[in-house]
Amino acid sequence: MKIGSYELKLEKREHLTRLKATLISTFSIICALLLFSLIFVNAGISPITGFQEIFSFAFANRHGLPLTINRSIFILLCTSAFIIPFRAGLWNIGMAGQMYAGALGAFAVLYAFGARVDPGMYISPFIGIPLMMLASGIAGGVIGAIAGYIKGRFNVNEIVITMMINFIAFWLVSFMIKEGGPFMNPVGRSESFDLPVSLRAPLVMGVPFTLIVALLISFTLHWVFSKTRIGYQIKAYGLNPAAAKYAGMNPFKITLMVFAAGGAIAGLAAYHMFAAVPGVYKIARNYVDFGDLTFYGIISGLIANGNPLAAIPIVLLFGGLTNGGRFAQGRLEMGFGVDFALLGIMMITMVAFQFFYRYKIVWIKPNKEIPDGRVIL
Amino acid sequence: MSLDTLMRGDSVLEARGITKRFPGVLANDAINFNIKVGEIHAVLGENGAGKTTLMNILFGMYQPDEGELFFNGKKVDFKSPLDAIKLGIGMVHQKRKLITAHNVIENIILGHPLAGTILNINRAKEDVSKLSEQYGFKIDLMAKVWQLSEGQKQSVEIIKALYRGAKVLILDEPTSALSPPETKSLLASIKSMSNSNLAVVPFITHKLPIVLAISDTVTVLRRGKVTAHFETKGATEKSLARSMVGRDVINDLERVQVGRGKPILQVNTLSARSEKGPLAFKGVSFTIHEGEIFGITGVSGNGQEELAEALAGLRKVVGGSVFLDGQDITNSSCLERWQKGVGYIPAERNDVGSIGDFSLTENVAMNYFYDDQYTTGGIIRYNELRTLTEDLISEYGVATPGPDTTAKSLSGGNLQKLILARVFARKPRLIIACLPTQGLDVGASEFVQNKLLQAKKDGAAILLISGDIEEALSLSDWVAPIYEGEFKDIFAGEDATLEIVGAWMAGVKPKVD
Amino acid sequence: MAELFYRSLDASMIFVIAALAELIGQRSGILNVGIEGVMLFGATLGFIAAQTTGDYMIGFLVAMAIGGAIGLLHGLFSIKLGGDQVVSGMGIWILGFGLTTYIGNPYTGPLGMDRIPKIGGLSPFFYIGIALIIVVWFVLQKTSLGLKIRSVGENPAVAEVSGINVSKIRFLCVTVSGVLMGLAGGIYALDYNPVWSYNFIMGWGFIALALVFFSMWNPVILLGGSVLFGALWQFALNPQFVLPGIMSRYLWRMVPFVITILVLLVISTKWFKTKWGAAKPEALGLPYKKE
Repeated sequence: MKIGSYELKLEKREHLTRLKATLISTFSIICALLLFSLIFVNAGISPITGFQEIFSFAFANRHGLPLTINRSIFILLCTSAFIIPFRAGLWNIGMAGQMYAGALGAFAVLYAFGARVDPGMYISPFIGIPLMMLASGIAGGVIGAIAGYIKGRFNVNEIVITMMINFIAFWLVSFMIKEGGPFMNPVGRSESFDLPVSLRAPLVMGVPFTLIVALLISFTLHWVFSKTRIGYQIKAYGLNPAAAKYAGMNPFKITLMVFAAGGAIAGLAAYHMFAAVPGVYKIARNYVDFGDLTFYGIISGLIANGNPLAAIPIVLLFGGLTNGGRFAQGRLEMGFGVDFALLGIMMITMVAFQFFYRYKIVWIKPNKEIPDGRVIL
Repeated sequence: MSLDTLMRGDSVLEARGITKRFPGVLANDAINFNIKVGEIHAVLGENGAGKTTLMNILFGMYQPDEGELFFNGKKVDFKSPLDAIKLGIGMVHQKRKLITAHNVIENIILGHPLAGTILNINRAKEDVSKLSEQYGFKIDLMAKVWQLSEGQKQSVEIIKALYRGAKVLILDEPTSALSPPETKSLLASIKSMSNSNLAVVPFITHKLPIVLAISDTVTVLRRGKVTAHFETKGATEKSLARSMVGRDVINDLERVQVGRGKPILQVNTLSARSEKGPLAFKGVSFTIHEGEIFGITGVSGNGQEELAEALAGLRKVVGGSVFLDGQDITNSSCLERWQKGVGYIPAERNDVGSIGDFSLTENVAMNYFYDDQYTTGGIIRYNELRTLTEDLISEYGVATPGPDTTAKSLSGGNLQKLILARVFARKPRLIIACLPTQGLDVGASEFVQNKLLQAKKDGAAILLISGDIEEALSLSDWVAPIYEGEFKDIFAGEDATLEIVGAWMAGVKPKVD
Repeated sequence: MAELFYRSLDASMIFVIAALAELIGQRSGILNVGIEGVMLFGATLGFIAAQTTGDYMIGFLVAMAIGGAIGLLHGLFSIKLGGDQVVSGMGIWILGFGLTTYIGNPYTGPLGMDRIPKIGGLSPFFYIGIALIIVVWFVLQKTSLGLKIRSVGENPAVAEVSGINVSKIRFLCVTVSGVLMGLAGGIYALDYNPVWSYNFIMGWGFIALALVFFSMWNPVILLGGSVLFGALWQFALNPQFVLPGIMSRYLWRMVPFVITILVLLVISTKWFKTKWGAAKPEALGLPYKKE
C-alpha cells in the first residue's frame, strides 16, 4: 500500500519486546471500548455519559469500589487458572466447571459439619475457612485433572472436553441446590444453604482476605515460570512439545499438572465468590452468572499474553467494567446484557489484535539502489 | 506455443545474463545457459554455488533482477510457478511434495486443468498408465502415497510433471534419496525421456559419477557464476571437481585409530513399531565399544530413525533389550537415559533439537534442567547456565551476539554447533548422532565430523546414522547397512566398500568377486 | 413415544447441519471451535428477523447470511492474517454469546408464529439435512473441487504448487461452513425450539464439534452420530419415558455431555484407531503462509 512516496508493508516481527506487547494490548482495549460505545449510541445514550457512569461507579463510589475489587479478585483467580495451561500450549476453557466444583467442595465441608440443618451453628473460622479453601481447591483440581488426564492420555481436544465438563458441572450444581437437592436452602429458594456467620471471611480494608491469596498466587506463578524447573518445563512444552519430549520431559505429567493446578485455582475462585464476598455467602441462584464471568479469565489471560503479573491491572479494569456495566445498565435503563456485550466485543477485538503480536506495519522509503542488508524476500 | 515444431538440437529453454541478488550475497551472476530439446543437461555446483536460486528462477519461483529467459526462442516472464507449468516446465523438488494421505492417481491429477468437475478416475488411470509405462515406471496408481518408498514417491512426482505436459523436466538432487538399484532405474527412465525429446535438467551437488553416467552436457556453477561448460564425453571426475571448487576435492578426514575400550552399548534383537503399526525395525543386534564409531547407512525410511529414537528413549520397543554400560535401559525413560550418559543429536534441529523462541541459554537448559550442578531444589540457576552457554558459544565458534539471543536467529550450521556443544558438554558415554550434517554446507559439515572424531578420541561410543554413504564410510569403524528394518550385515571399516554397502542398502546381496 | 422419536430426529438434523458445516471447514484445514457462537448469531438474528417481519423465509435467510458473514470473519483471521484458529474460534463464540445476550434480550419469549408444517411427521429440515449429507459426500469424494478441498486440508504447500489457490478454497469452505452453521442455529430457533432465551443453544455447538471428531471426517458416520445424539438429548429431557423416576431431571441433563466424553475417549484409544484408522486432515488448524 502506498501513501505518498512511502510504502506501507507488513513485516513479521523478529522479537516482541514487553513494551510493544503492552502497547498492543492497551490499544486493543481502547479499540474495544470504542466499539463498545456503539452499544450506548444504539440505546440513545451518549457514550461519554455511559462510560462516566461505569467508571465512576466502579472506581469512585463507596459501594461500587469494593464490588469492583471483589469481581477483580474472582477474575484474577480465573486468569491464573487459565494462564497455567496456556503457557503449556493448552486451553483451559473449563474454569466455569472447575469453579462450580469448587463451590460444591466448599459447601460440602459445611454440609459435613451439619451447617445446613443448623444455620446458626458455630464453627471456628480457624478450622472452617482453611478446610473450605482446601476443599474448593481439591474439588476444582480434581475436575481440572480429569480434563488433563483425558487430554494427556487420549489426546482428545481439550476444548471439547472442558466445555462438556462445564455443562456437566452446571447441571450438577442445579441438582444440588434446586428442587430438594442436598445443598438446597431449607427455606427453599433454589439456592444453597447459608454460610454460618462465624465463617464469613475476614476483611482487609473492607475487602475479603482472598485478595491477598489471589495476589500471592499471581506472584508465585510469576516466580514459578521464571525460576523453577517445573516452570521451565511448562514453557518449553508450550513452545515446542517435540523438543520438550526430546529433552526428557514428560508430556503427560505436564498436561495433568497444569490442568490440576488451574482447576484448583478456579475452585478457589468459587470459595472467594460464594463464601468470602460480603452479601453473597451462599451458592447464589444466579450462580451461572459467575460461571460466565470466568470467561473473562480467558480474555485477560490472552491480553496479558500469559504473564501472571500483567494480568493484575487488566483484571482490575475488567472487574470495573463488568461491575460498572451492570450498574450503568440499570441506571441508564438499558436492556439486560450490557456487560455480556462488552465481553463479546472485548474478545473479538483481542482476537483481531493478536495479529499485531506477530506482524508490524513498516514504512519503507523507496530507494532506487538495492539497500544493503534489507530483507527483500 | 507448440513444441512439436522443435527438433533435436533446437533450444527449448535458455537463460541469458541471469543475475539475482539477495542481501549481502550475489546468488547468480550473469549466468548463461542453454537447454536443447532431448538433451540431458546437468547443472553441477556445491551448496551455496547458486544452483538453487537458478533453479527457482527457471521454474518461476523467483524473478531475476537482470537477464532474460527464453522458451522455445521466445522471451518469457514467469510471475509464478504456474506460468512455468503452463508452458511446459516441470520441476521435481528434492523434498517430496506429495499429499501422503491421498493415493497416487489423486496426487497426479491434483490441479490438472483436464481433471474435470466430476473426477473421471478411470480415464485418468488409463492415460497415466500409458505414460508411466512409456518411461519405465512401475507404480500402483491406487496405492496410498504414504505406503510408497522414497524412490517410488519421486517417480510419482515425475509422472505428475509429465502428465501436466512438461517438455523440460528440472530435477533437484534426483538421486540423493535413492538406493543404487533405484538410481539405475531412474537413469534409465531419464534416458528414455530424452529419447522422446524431453529435455531433462538434473541439479546435482556432488554425485560426480551420476553426472558422468547420465548427462550429455554439464554446466558447472561456482559462487554464482558459470565456471565451465562441458560436453560430458570429454569430462572426468577430476575436471568436474576442479571447476566446482577450484581445487581437487579429496575427502580429507583423518581416519583416527583409537584403542578399543570396553563395550558401552549392547543392543540385542531389538524391535519397535512405526506410527502406522507394522515394525519399523526388527531383530537388530550390535555392540559399540568406547572409542568406536558405529555407522548405520541406509536410504531414509528403512527404520534407522526409529532405531535412534528407540535408543534415545523416545520410542517404545516391543522386543529385545538395550544395555548401557552393563545396565539394562530397555524400558528406561528418556530422562533417565540422559542422566545415565546418553547424548542424542536429533535429525531435525529446528523442530526437535531446539526451541526457537527460547534464548540460547534456555536451549542449553534443555540438557541441564535436571542436573544437580545447575539446579537447587526445584530452582534453575540461570546465571550459571548463562556462563556455561557463553563458554560453549566461544568454544564452538557459534556466530551469535550472545547467549540471550533466540535460537531461531541462528543459521542452520550455528544451531547445529550449539546443539552439539550442549550435548557434548555433558560428556556422554554414548552419542547417538542422527543425520548430523544434513542440510549443512561443507564448512559446517567438516566441523561436525571433526567434533565427532574428537569425541571418539575422548572415549565415547558413537552411533552415527548418516544419509551420506561416503561420510559414513570415512568416519566409521563399523558399518551396518540397514534395509527394511534389518541390519543386512556388519562390516569392519576397512572391509566396507561403496559397492558392497550400496548393494546391501538396496536389499541386494553384493556380488563377491 | 412416537413424538419423542420424531423430535429426536429433528434434533439430529440440527446436529447434522452444524457438524457438517464444521466438517467442510476442517477438511480444508480450518478449525472453528466457535460453532456455538455462529449458531447463536444465526438463531438470534433469524429469530428477530422472522418475528419482526412475520416471515420465516426472511428469518432463515438472515440466519444464513449472518452465519456466512461470521464464517468470513473467521476466515479473515485464520487465513488472511494467519492467526491462531483456536483463539479466533473462541473469540467468535464469546462474541456470539455476549452480543446475542444483549441483542436478543428484548425478544425473550416465544416466537409467536404458526409452527412450520411438518412433512411425514418430520420437520422439512430433516430432509434438507439428509440431502446435504449426500451432496457433501459427493462433492468431497467425487469432484475435482472436493479433491482440491481435501488436498488443501492435508498439505497446502503441495496444493499451492499444483496450481490450487489455497486461500480461495479455504475462504470458500469457511464461508459455506458459516452459512450452514447459521442455518442450523436458525432451524433451532425457528423450528425446533422457537422460544428465545439467552444462551439457548445450550452447548449444541460444542457437541457438533465433538461430532466432527467422532465422525472421523466422514459425512456418513456423521449422520449416524448425529442421530444418536439427537436421541440422547431427547432422552435426557424426558427420562420418564424410558426410566421413570430414577434420578433428578437435572442429573439426566448431564447425560448427553457425559456420553460425548465417553465416546471421544473410545475413539481415541489405540485399539479403536488401529481398527478404524484416524483420518485427520494433516494441516488442520495450522496457518498457511504462501512462500
